[in-house]
Amino acid sequence: VAKTSLTSPPWPEVKLPDPVEEAKYHAEVVQKVNKMIATGQYGRLFAVVHFASKQWKITSEDLIMMDNVLEAECGDRIRMEKVLLVGADDFTLIGRPLLGKDLVRVEATVIEKTESWPKINMRFWKRHNYQRKKIITNPQTVLRINTIEIFPCLS
Amino acid sequence: QHFRGRKNRCYKLAVRSVRRAFVKSTKARREKKRFLRALWITRIEAASLEHGLKYPAFISNLLKSQVELNRKMIADLAIYEPKTFKSLAALAQRRRQEGFLAALGDGKEPEGIFSRIVHHY
Repeated sequence: VAKTSLTSPPWPEVKLPDPVEEAKYHAEVVQKVNKMIATGQYGRLFAVVHFASKQWKITSEDLIMMDNVLEAECGDRIRMEKVLLVGADDFTLIGRPLLGKDLVRVEATVIEKTESWPKINMRFWKRHNYQRKKIITNPQTVLRINTIEIFPCLS
Repeated sequence: QHFRGRKNRCYKLAVRSVRRAFVKSTKARREKKRFLRALWITRIEAASLEHGLKYPAFISNLLKSQVELNRKMIADLAIYEPKTFKSLAALAQRRRQEGFLAALGDGKEPEGIFSRIVHHY
């Protein structure tokens, strides 16, 4: 069969490395990372957490403000589940899509429950004698992230 | 802008311009979300081009490998955590190559009928 423009695909041909060797390499890397976590050779940890339908990049001693009401009193400790990513200087743990609860632990306390600054909502149509003005104050909560901990239970 | 001229002194003109300012701020609050998303997308595109990937390839491969980070997060990571962004780009590149191999299948071509080479003697 003659060679046309459609005989070979338009992307350059790529060869994947050997799966057996790859599996060995992966196991080695996992062991290394486990040892590092167990000995505690990481500095500051950052985490990406899905909370209040938003994703936040948080570290320890962080302040977070959200535009809704939490059913917790001021001073309550909260444990955040739904951790998407955890990282330190030398390694990151990427969740698919979430990380296990026995791997990461994120603690936060509720500090403040206030209302936002009065936002003005105005609608106006020209020449139709129509204008409506509404002042909206959203309830807000302020959380402080106390700690992020990771445990060496990788496999 | 910012109530130039007699708009900051005279009541009638000021009333009109303040009304327009309120209306514009309410509409802009809805457009801000679109604007910010476009900004994040351009940032992610620039960062992924530094690692040799285009934005559609990067995002589609990330989603196919079940990593559900939204664009705001990826843009922030690309700014403040370059190593993490590099690992995400490598993950997307590997998934892309596996996708190519899966699309090729066997690697053989079916024998054609009209594309057979006919020899004249």
